[in-house]
Amino acid sequence: MHRSEVSTATEAATMPAPAAHSIAIVGSGPAGCYVAHFLRKRWPTAEIVIFDRLGLPYGLVRYGVAPDHTGTKAVARQFDRLFEQGGVRFVGGTEIGRHLTVDQLREAFDVVVLATGLSADRPLGIPGATGRPVPVVTTSTGTQPAGATVHGAALSGAALSGVYGSGRLTRLINGHPDENAEGVVFGSRVAIVGQGNVAIDLLRLLLMSPDELRGHGVADEVVNAIAAGPVRHIDIVGRSSLSRAKFDPAMISELAKIPNVRFLADHGELHDADAEPRDLAKRDVLLRLLATASHDADRTDANPGSDRTVRFHFGWVPERLEGAGSVDTLSLRGSVGSDSSLKLAVDSVLTAIGFFEAADAPLRRQSHESPDSDLEIGRLGPGLYCVGWLRRGPQGTIPANRTDAKMVADVIAAAADAGEFFPGKPGFAGLNLLPSDH
Amino acid sequence: MSTTVILYGTESGNSELVAEDLAADLGGDRDVRVYDMSDFDVADFDTDDFYLVVCSTHGDGELPGGAKPLLEALNSEQPDLSGIRYAVFGLGNSTYETYSQGSEIIDRRFTELGAERVGVYGRHDACDGSLPNDGAVEWARELLVLV
Ligand SMILES: Cc1cc2nc3c(=O)[nH]c(=O)nc-3n(C[C@H](O)[C@H](O)[C@H](O)COP(=O)(O)OP(=O)(O)OC[C@H]3O[C@@H](n4cnc5c(N)ncnc54)[C@H](O)[C@@H]3O)c2cc1C
Ligand SMILES: Cc1cc2nc3c(=O)[nH]c(=O)nc-3n(C[C@H](O)[C@H](O)[C@H](O)COP(=O)(O)O)c2cc1C
Repeated sequence: MHRSEVSTATEAATMPAPAAHSIAIVGSGPAGCYVAHFLRKRWPTAEIVIFDRLGLPYGLVRYGVAPDHTGTKAVARQFDRLFEQGGVRFVGGTEIGRHLTVDQLREAFDVVVLATGLSADRPLGIPGATGRPVPVVTTSTGTQPAGATVHGAALSGAALSGVYGSGRLTRLINGHPDENAEGVVFGSRVAIVGQGNVAIDLLRLLLMSPDELRGHGVADEVVNAIAAGPVRHIDIVGRSSLSRAKFDPAMISELAKIPNVRFLADHGELHDADAEPRDLAKRDVLLRLLATASHDADRTDANPGSDRTVRFHFGWVPERLEGAGSVDTLSLRGSVGSDSSLKLAVDSVLTAIGFFEAADAPLRRQSHESPDSDLEIGRLGPGLYCVGWLRRGPQGTIPANRTDAKMVADVIAAAADAGEFFPGKPGFAGLNLLPSDH
Repeated sequence: MSTTVILYGTESGNSELVAEDLAADLGGDRDVRVYDMSDFDVADFDTDDFYLVVCSTHGDGELPGGAKPLLEALNSEQPDLSGIRYAVFGLGNSTYETYSQGSEIIDRRFTELGAERVGVYGRHDACDGSLPNDGAVEWARELLVLV
């Protein structure tokens, strides 16, 4: 052995390893995983631990994204590599705010990042449904439900059964451990309220055959609930005009591949004068769907030969649910300065109108905010950050969380460079968890 | 010495991981550098280097967010890319009619500015939920034997 080699080896052994940061991330959805990715790149030797209340990671990638969108779900394979090769530790079955507090994490880790998302279904807030509407205020970081505490306060008058939120249904369809299909009855006439991509996901899933659903791994009890209807007619309703509806054109063109469905709409609702040029793609793709699937888009009853019908309604606001015990009528009123009204006969109503922070969530962003917080950059306090839907509100796709995570990771690194925190806290070992604690 | 420059354009991160895997696999034999297209300065194109372009597709046949700054710079600065040799690996999903077209936008612009594409045009189809990485590494190994 060469002398020089010996001395290098000795030097390496006696030099203290440079201190590394310890980082706790709460929530293993895309926001949490992308933050881990960017911090890992920045600090290859940092200790990074991701906690999740559930036993399995990836949040809405696993329990929200529709099971037939395998391409989208594949980002989970990216995140797998964090845990398999990136030295990031996943601690599942550990709800922060219940099993451990944020303060305990802050004592043990140099940096704590909250990435718990927003999972409560926004209530419809009309007579016959549970919950009051959640007031919406626009903040600099996006649209945030303000008085989320009102959630769960029932309106006067009994809530009817047969009304289901999209969060609950998409969790159910994706096998979330907190959900079961007991009492879920769709019947043959379903109304979907909402015109975003999640509403279109629900529409597509309800039109899927039992075999297809099973093929995508949907549990038997859920397949049976959908097949039991069987769903024959779906009204899909939104307050916006077609050009303002939130779905992506690609979501609509995908519907054309479903066999035995006739797509309908009232002609007068398809044209609005103030459409932006970039919204025309949406109109074109919907017109194409109506034209290929239906030769008479103006008539509801023009339906010989095809099994099922889907009718799009643009510019209608839900006003009231009626029924004896279970919903049987959805009353709508025109949203654009008219006093027109419409009653739809329904067996069930599915709401896909957004998400917010549940009042009983064990970890609420608000309780970690201070005058020192700057939500624009995801900073809650010294060494404490937030990212993803918890930071921005419940809008934006998986890639939007990547952009968000990169920004927040850069902010964290800049704070470290500025000496706001130093490596030194014990990290996971400092939590003194007994194996049975989580 | 000639450098293999990997330029990735991504929106959800798959192309970034492909670029990293390519760098790790090729790095033993070559001098390899990896850039996010958002961070690459078009003034740095060098005819001594070889370029591997890894780029996904989003929207409906559009570039991923991360590739847009490079396209804008190519459009506004119109650099002369003659003498530049490159290869393309496109990511996409064949359930879209516009399969893999994002990478083709970059490819077209490179060619228009005088660069020369070599080798097989590599592609990955996400429709089955598989990761593009292994296919990309295989593609690059075969390609680089030739160049
Ligand atoms: C039904 C549905 C379908 C969607 N489909 C698509 C799609 O096809 N494509 C797309 O790009 N985007 C889609 N999105 C949007 C996408 O899912 C979100 O942008 C993204 O998941 C938000 O990421 P997040 O990490 O902020 O939150 P989440 O994904 O919600 O992750 C939060 C994580 O935190 C955990 N958690 C919560 N509280 C605690 C606690 N107290 N302690 C520990 N852990 C906790 C949760 O278990 C969860 O794992 C969809 C969203 C929904 C609701
Ligand atoms: C919203 C969205 C739109 C997409 N549009 C297309 C498309 O038009 N054509 C295509 O071939 N692939 C499309 N894809 C598939 C992506 O190109 C594919 O998932 C790729 O692996 C993503 O790579 P990235 O993570 O590097 O961005 C789309 C994916 C998403 C999520």
